[in-house]
Amino acid sequence: MTTVTILAALLKILVVVGFGFTLAAVLTWAERRQSAMMQDRFGPNRASFKLFGKEIRLAGLVHVAADGLKFFFKEDFVPPNADKLLHALAPMLSLFPPVVLMAVVPFGDTLCLDQLRNGHTWAAVERFGTCTTAPSSTALPAVPLQVFDTNVGILYIFALAGMGIVGATIAGWSSDNKFSVLGGLRAASQLVSYEVAMGLSLVGAFMVYGTVRLDEMARWQGEHVWGIFVQPLGFLLFWAASLAESKRTPFDMPEGESEIVAGHLVEYSGMKFGMFYFGEYIEIVVSSALLVAIFLGGYNLPFLHRDGFTVTFAGAAWHQTLPHLVVILMQALTFFGKVMVLCWFQLFFRWTLPRFRYDQVMKFGWRMLLPATLANVFLTGVVVLAIDRAGERLASRLALVADGLNLLVAALIVFAFIRVVVGMIVPSGPPTRAGVPETPQAA
Amino acid sequence: MPTIKLDGRDIPFEKGDTIIRAAWRQGLEIPHYCWHPGLSVAANCRMCLVEIERPGGRQMMLDVLHWDEKRGDYVPSKKPKLEPACQIECMEGMNVKSESSAFVADARKHVQEYLLLNHPVDCAICDQAGECKLQDYWLKEQRAPKRMLDEIIHKPKGVSFGPTIVYDAERCIVCTRCVRFMEEIAKDPVLDKRERGNLGEIVLSPGRQLEGKYTMMVDQVCPVGALTTKDFRFKARVWFLRKVETVCPGCATGCNAWLDYDPRTGEVPRLRPRDNLAVNQFWMCDDGIMTHKRVQSARVATATVGRGKDRKQAAPSAAFKAAADLLRGAKGVGIVLSAQRSTEDNFTLAYFARTFLGVNDFHLAGLASWDGDAILRDTDRNPNTRGATAVAGGAVRPISELTEPVVSGQVPVVLALGGQVDLDDVTAGALGRAKLIVLSDCETPLTKMADVVLPIASWAEQDGSFVNRQGVEQPFVAGPKPVGDALPGWDSLVRLAKQAGHPLDWKRIKDVRKAMGGPVGRSSAQPATPDAAPAAE
Amino acid sequence: MPLPLEGPIQYDRVKGTKISKPARNVVQQAYVKDVAEGIAITLRHFFKNTKEMIRNERPDAVTDAIADGVTTLEYPFQKRPYPERFRGVHRLTLREDGSPRCVACFCCSTACPAQCIYIEAGEYPDGDRRRGYEKYPVKFVIDELRCIFCGFCVEACPCDAIRMDTGMHPQPYDSRDQFVFGKSLLMSFAGADGTQQSQNPRVEPGEKGFPGITRLAGHH
Repeated sequence: MTTVTILAALLKILVVVGFGFTLAAVLTWAERRQSAMMQDRFGPNRASFKLFGKEIRLAGLVHVAADGLKFFFKEDFVPPNADKLLHALAPMLSLFPPVVLMAVVPFGDTLCLDQLRNGHTWAAVERFGTCTTAPSSTALPAVPLQVFDTNVGILYIFALAGMGIVGATIAGWSSDNKFSVLGGLRAASQLVSYEVAMGLSLVGAFMVYGTVRLDEMARWQGEHVWGIFVQPLGFLLFWAASLAESKRTPFDMPEGESEIVAGHLVEYSGMKFGMFYFGEYIEIVVSSALLVAIFLGGYNLPFLHRDGFTVTFAGAAWHQTLPHLVVILMQALTFFGKVMVLCWFQLFFRWTLPRFRYDQVMKFGWRMLLPATLANVFLTGVVVLAIDRAGERLASRLALVADGLNLLVAALIVFAFIRVVVGMIVPSGPPTRAGVPETPQAA
Repeated sequence: MPTIKLDGRDIPFEKGDTIIRAAWRQGLEIPHYCWHPGLSVAANCRMCLVEIERPGGRQMMLDVLHWDEKRGDYVPSKKPKLEPACQIECMEGMNVKSESSAFVADARKHVQEYLLLNHPVDCAICDQAGECKLQDYWLKEQRAPKRMLDEIIHKPKGVSFGPTIVYDAERCIVCTRCVRFMEEIAKDPVLDKRERGNLGEIVLSPGRQLEGKYTMMVDQVCPVGALTTKDFRFKARVWFLRKVETVCPGCATGCNAWLDYDPRTGEVPRLRPRDNLAVNQFWMCDDGIMTHKRVQSARVATATVGRGKDRKQAAPSAAFKAAADLLRGAKGVGIVLSAQRSTEDNFTLAYFARTFLGVNDFHLAGLASWDGDAILRDTDRNPNTRGATAVAGGAVRPISELTEPVVSGQVPVVLALGGQVDLDDVTAGALGRAKLIVLSDCETPLTKMADVVLPIASWAEQDGSFVNRQGVEQPFVAGPKPVGDALPGWDSLVRLAKQAGHPLDWKRIKDVRKAMGGPVGRSSAQPATPDAAPAAE
Repeated sequence: MPLPLEGPIQYDRVKGTKISKPARNVVQQAYVKDVAEGIAITLRHFFKNTKEMIRNERPDAVTDAIADGVTTLEYPFQKRPYPERFRGVHRLTLREDGSPRCVACFCCSTACPAQCIYIEAGEYPDGDRRRGYEKYPVKFVIDELRCIFCGFCVEACPCDAIRMDTGMHPQPYDSRDQFVFGKSLLMSFAGADGTQQSQNPRVEPGEKGFPGITRLAGHH
C-alpha cells in the first residue's frame, strides 16, 4: 500500500462522508421547506444571521445551523431508570451503519493515475478495460472511486443495513418507557421483514449484471443500458423496501406519532435525538445512492464513456474524445447530481402518502413484496436464459433497443432540465381564486 | 289502618292527619309553600289544591263558563271544586287526585303565576336560587313566561331584621311560615304580616328586632329567598355545595343536620337542620347552625413540638416520634378523653391506654355548661359526654381531678384528646407541670401548653358518631378533606400507638367499630321522615 | 321528577342512497398508479409554489386568504382583521357610574367548562350610594391561561356584565401569574367599539322599574 493509495483513500472518504453529511443536513431543511411548498405555506424561513448589518436568511438554510446548535444546547435527558449505557449507545448504533454504507458505492470510474503522468494530464484513455499499464514498482496505482473496493459488494450493504435494527430496538428497550418498547418492537419486526424483501429484490439485478460488485454493476450499465430498464420490477420493489427500511412515512410505524407518541425516540432529547434524526436523513442519501448505483446507471450519463461521448444509433456513430480527468469529474458530478435529485424526489413520498396501519405494513412486506420479489427472480432467470440461448441476432436487436433507451433518457434529461428552467422564468398567468366561481360581470 | 286513595295509590293515615301529611308520611309530595310538617296549617298559598272525591262518589262541582274553540263562545260547564290538601282531614275511602287531575295542574299553574306576579325574578343575586321552591314549581308546574306587562309592585329589599336575618319583601310570597315558627316553636311572636294581597309583607313587632336563640331557622323555613341569614348571605351558590349527613356538635341534644361544603375549597359555609322526629324534629338553634364556623376557625393544621415560646411546627412523623418518646419513658400516663370527640376517637384512646399503657382510670374534658332551654338546647355543651363515658367503662372523672396526681408526680405525662375544652385555672396550672401530648382539631387552652400537638380532623372532616343525651348513637359522615396534616382522631392515635411500638393495626373506621363490638348507645334507626321529604324544609 | 313527555318519541326513518364499494383490482392493489397520481399532485404544487416564491408572485395573504398558492400570513407583520364576533380577552362592562355591572351571580363561573373564573361576592356598605346594587363582585378573577375562549360565560351572564368583544388576545407574558386577570384589569378594557359600557340598557336604582325602592317612593 503506497502513500498515494492512502492519500487517495483519505480523500475519497472525505468526499463521500462530506457529501453524505452535507446532503443530509441540507435535507433536514429541504424536507421542511419542500413540504411547505407542497402544502401552500412558507416553511422555515426565519433563522438568520447578521453580516455587515444585513440580515441573511438564505431561504431558511440557516435553520440547519440553528437546529444543530440547538441540539447541542438542549437538555440531554436520560430517564432515571433507563439503561444508561445502552441509552447512550443506541443513537450511535443507528447513525453508524448508514454512514459506512456509503463506502462501497462507486461515485466514478477507476481513475488511472499512471496515465496522467509526464505531460499527459489532459490525455484520454481507452474506452474498454481499466488502466492498461502493467503494475510496476514506480507506476502509480489505479484508483477506483469507491472507498471500499470489495468483492462482496452488495452483501456488505445487506450486512450493515441489518444493523439499523439494532439501534432502534436498543433505543426502545433501554428507555424505560412503554411507548419506547412498543416502538422498538415495531422497528425490529418491520426492519427484519423488509430486509428480506430488500435482499431478494436485488437478486434479479445480480443475475442480469452477473456480479455483486457495485462498480461492475455501474460499468455494465454504462456499456449496455440503465438497470431500471432491465429490472423495472426489481427497481420498484427495492425502492419500496428501502423506503420501509428508512422508517419514514408511510412506513413510520416505529415512531407512530399518532399512536405511540414517538416510539423509540420518546425519551431522547438534545444531540442524542439529533443523531437519530440525522441518521434518518443519511439513510435517505444512502438509499438514493444505492438506487442510483444499481438501477439508475450509477455515475454514467447516456453515451458518456471512458474516452468521451460516443453516440451510436443503428450503426451510425458520432464520437467526441474527452480527457480522462474531465470524464471522471463529469462522472462524479453526475453521480452526486443523480443522488441529489433522487433525494429530492424521495422526500415527496413522505408528504404525499398516508400512513399504513401496522398490520398493513406487515401484510405488505410479507404477502405482497416478498412474493413479488420471488416472482421477479424467476422471471429474470427465465428471460436471461432465453436471451443467452437466442444467439447473435437477438443480441444485436437488444443492443439497438438499448441505444434507443439511452437516447430516450438523454432526451428526457434535457427536456426536464429545459422545462424546469424555462418554467421558472416564464411569468405565471393571473392568479386564480380557488373555489370562487367567476361571474360573467367580473369577466 | 284506614286509607285514602291518592292518584290511585292507597295511602294509610292516622286519625287527624290531613291529606298532605298522610302523603308526606309516605314520601309523596303535594306541591306546597305555606304548609310545614312542624307548623300549624295556614292554607294561604293555595298551591296544594287537590281534587277530592268523598266516599260515595260525592264531589263538589262548580258551574263555570268554558271557552269552546269550535263554537267561538263560552259554554256553561262544570268543574270540581278544588280544596287545599293541607287543611282537609283524611276520611276513610276518600279519593284524592293530585298529579292525575288536569284541573289541579291548571290550578297550580295559575297559583304559581299569581305568586310570581310581583316577584322581582332576581335569581341571579338570590341566595335561595338552586333550592327555591318558586324555581322548582315554576319548572314543574308552570313553564310559561309571565303575561303581566305592568310594572310590578315594589317593596323594600335587603331589610335587616336583626343581627342574623335579612328580609327581602319583593321575593316574599307571604306564606307566614316564619311568623308561625316564631310563634309556635321559638315562642317569641316577634314577626307578623301586614297589608293584604299585593301589598302583603312580613314585619317586625314595633320596637323589636328578630333576635333570640332560634332566629336563623326562619331562613330555613322560608320556601323562597325572602329571608336569608347574614352569615350565609352571598357566601356561596348552593349548586356548588355538596351535602353530607352530620350531627350538630353544639350540645348534647345532637340535632341532626346537613353539612353543606364546597368540595373545591373544603369550606363549610353552613349547616342545615335534617329532619329527625325523635331528636330535633325539623329545627336547630342559632348556635348549632353556627357550629360550621368550627371547621375553619382556629384550627390546628400542622403538628407542633415544644411548649410556649419554643413551640415549633414539625413534620407529622417528627411529632409522632416525639410523642411516642414521651410515652415510652413515662412512669405513669394520665389519659384525658374528650366529650367533644366522636365515640370512635374516644374508644381508640381508651383501648390504647388500657391495652398498652395499663391505665384504667380516665378523665373527661369538654366545654362548661351553658343555659339550656326546653326547646332543643341542652345545658351540656358537649355532644358526646355519654359516648365518651361509655367507652371508658361507664365512669370517668372530671379533668380537674387530674390535678393531684400531676402535682404529686404520679403522672408525669398526660395524653389528651383535644377538641373544644374549658379549663379552670387550677387545673390548667397543674397540667402545665406534666408533659402534655394533645391531639386536637383546634387551638384550646390544652394545645397552648402542650409539648406535642398532633393535628386531627374536625368532626366535619371524619366519620364517627356521637351519643346524645337520650342515649341515641348518631353517626355522621366526613365532608371536606381534613385541613393541613390533620388525620382522623382514631387514625392519629393508631399511628401514635404504632410509633410507640404497640401492635395496633386498625386501618379503617370499620376496624374501630368492629373492635368496639357494637353500638354504644341505642341505634339511631328511627322512623323520622320519609326519605323523599324535601330536605330543605 | 322527570318532566312528562307528550306521546311517544317519533324518529324519522333514515333514507339514504347506496354507495358502491370501490373496485379492488390489480391496478388499485398494486398501489403504483395511485402513488404516481398523488406524487403528481404534490409535484405540481411544489413547482407552482416554488416558482411563485422565486418570482415573488404570491397572492396577498391578508386580502386573498382563499386564493391558490401560498397564502400564509406572516403574523406579527401581517394581521388578518378579526371578525365582528371574535372572542377575545374578557372585559367587565361598567355601569354609568363606573362600577361593574356584574352582580356576582356566579352564572359565568358555573357555566365555565374550564373553571377559570373565581368570584367573591359582597355587598356595598350601608350608606354607600351604590347600596341598591345589592350584590357585587369583591373579587373577579379570570385565569386566561385556563380559559378556552368558548364564550359560555358571556352566554350565561344575565346582566351583560362580561363580554369577550375586546378584539384582543392575551399578550404573552413572562410568568403564569400575569395571565390571572383581576377585576380592575378586566374593568379597564374597552370593547372593540371603544366603549366600556354595554349597548344593552340597564335599570339603575331610582329609575322606574328598578327593584327595591322604598314603599313611600313607589308609584302605587
